[in-house]
Amino acid sequence: MFRELGALTRREFLKLARNPAAIFTSLLLPLLYLLLFGNGFTINASSFGVTTPQQIAIFDQEFFRGAPNYYSYFSAGMVGFVSVTATLFIGANVIFDKLFGVFKRVRGTPAPSAAVFGSRLIAGAAQPILLAFFVLGLALLLGHIPGLHGLNVTASVGVLGSLEVLGAIVLLSLMFATLFLTFGILIDVPQTYFAAVNTINLPVLLTSDALYPWGFMPPWLRTVSQYNPVSLAVNVIREALFGSAAYPYGPGIYLLGLFAWTAVLVGIAIALVRRALRPLE
Amino acid sequence: MKGSEAVVTENLTKVYGGKIRAVENVSITVHPGEAFGFLGPNGAGKTTTVSMLTAGLRPTQGSAIVNGLDVEKFPDEVKRQIGVIFQESTADGDLSGLENIEVAAGCFGIARSEGRARAKALIDQMQLTEAANRLAKTYSGGMRRRLELAVGLVNEPRILFLDEPTLGLDPQGRAGFWGFVQKLRKETGVTVFVTTHYLDEADGMCDRIAIIDHGTIVASGTPGELKDKLGGDVVTLKTASSSMDLTAVLRPLPGVSSVQRQDGTYRVKCASGERLVPLAVDACSKAGALINGVIVKRPSLDEVFLEFTGREFREEEGPTATDQAVQGLRIRGALRGRR
Repeated sequence: MFRELGALTRREFLKLARNPAAIFTSLLLPLLYLLLFGNGFTINASSFGVTTPQQIAIFDQEFFRGAPNYYSYFSAGMVGFVSVTATLFIGANVIFDKLFGVFKRVRGTPAPSAAVFGSRLIAGAAQPILLAFFVLGLALLLGHIPGLHGLNVTASVGVLGSLEVLGAIVLLSLMFATLFLTFGILIDVPQTYFAAVNTINLPVLLTSDALYPWGFMPPWLRTVSQYNPVSLAVNVIREALFGSAAYPYGPGIYLLGLFAWTAVLVGIAIALVRRALRPLE
Repeated sequence: MKGSEAVVTENLTKVYGGKIRAVENVSITVHPGEAFGFLGPNGAGKTTTVSMLTAGLRPTQGSAIVNGLDVEKFPDEVKRQIGVIFQESTADGDLSGLENIEVAAGCFGIARSEGRARAKALIDQMQLTEAANRLAKTYSGGMRRRLELAVGLVNEPRILFLDEPTLGLDPQGRAGFWGFVQKLRKETGVTVFVTTHYLDEADGMCDRIAIIDHGTIVASGTPGELKDKLGGDVVTLKTASSSMDLTAVLRPLPGVSSVQRQDGTYRVKCASGERLVPLAVDACSKAGALINGVIVKRPSLDEVFLEFTGREFREEEGPTATDQAVQGLRIRGALRGRR
């Protein structure tokens, strides 16, 4: 099992390394969001005439869940955002491998379905995880460039906070990589795959508080957002970066919720993929 | 003895969607070490049969035993003991030739160092040494086929399944590919099960042949036996005059079994073409007819196919009924979110 997993994972990383265009475009999207979109919305408490320290603190709690400005709120949300968007193509690669016969070759060997699925999951989840840290690092860096807005961390992030951020990114990436990889294995037609992915991807992102300012959300959307896995991950990250005062629960609860989402989806994926990749069709 | 044979099928049947009978009651035996040809036009059921024998497709009825193992009960074990060269290219274009073989070795659970050693040996054997580190997408058609063969041999299989392996290759590429397969047979004694619709390849390469049409076996035997069933040679005589009928002159000649006339051309089936020609020319000349062309042909597998199926052996245009049925099922499966 481990030899098969190792060989197939190596293949995935070799292919990735030989596709610099894909690496460049995956970096370009968050770069543009952070440089153009984020810097275009330079909203903070003073934008609304709030000036006293007490009022600013209340405003930040209410509107940006403790973040000192929209950019900081938004860049933490971008970490969750890219953890989802960077997994979108994982299943499409499976479909193209089916069309080009590569998948047939692998299925013609006794490599277990766990190795076939696991190798793609490892490579597919590694990309959003690395990209999420790239976004965090870039947002922090931009804060030190004069004339640009960047991420301002207002809480002291200790070892535990760092581990919580890591856990949230890993779980969220793993969850969506599993979901879209399962789609890729079950679906044979690229158009059908992208339709299915967009049916999931856009509603999930748009009902989360990854980019949407909490203070501007209608009450019903806040309720929906509380159970959204992207919001759960972003809550963990924001609590670590800006403190827990604006949140009813500690990061452990949100991580638990995220873990539950991931566990349920992985469980469903295992059942479906084992059926789809059984030795005899 | 089923266990000692390379391949044994009994009434092997595959029905798609409860209606399309792609393969029906196929019973064949392939002996260890022999080259067995499975011939038929597009849509005859060749690839479906190979898919069942290589543990890729579950039979609807019947049984398939490969190297002593029931394919339905031990699909992974069967896969370990066979090599498969698929009809379409399955090499990963973004990996080098060497990497393609190494990854395939890993898929068989072969340790990385051993896989690398085997990959290098196979690359050399297939005369791809110069291109070993080049991406497979830069290979020519013939090189890709040799790479496919190398990938199919990485687990040192006892039986090699070749599904239309030379499809799309030029004559030189085809000859080169079969040269490698023949050499391999001589060196390793591997059993070869090959599907093709190039009859000349099957004639030159295979010890025994089965012809499949519309999912059922219509004839089987050695190439010689199949040709003998046609009743010997075919002599084609062309006369200068199309008005004179020489059928009555040719039919009584020794060894002649049938005479077909079309205008001034006569297709004469006989035991020995070489012996018949002087007698036929003499008899026609005495009857006042001038012979201006003679062709003597040993019966070919093309004629065998014509004899048993009533059709010319040629590639059919467009997708077959089976292709369409399978594609339809795939699309419906995809829309339902499963394969």
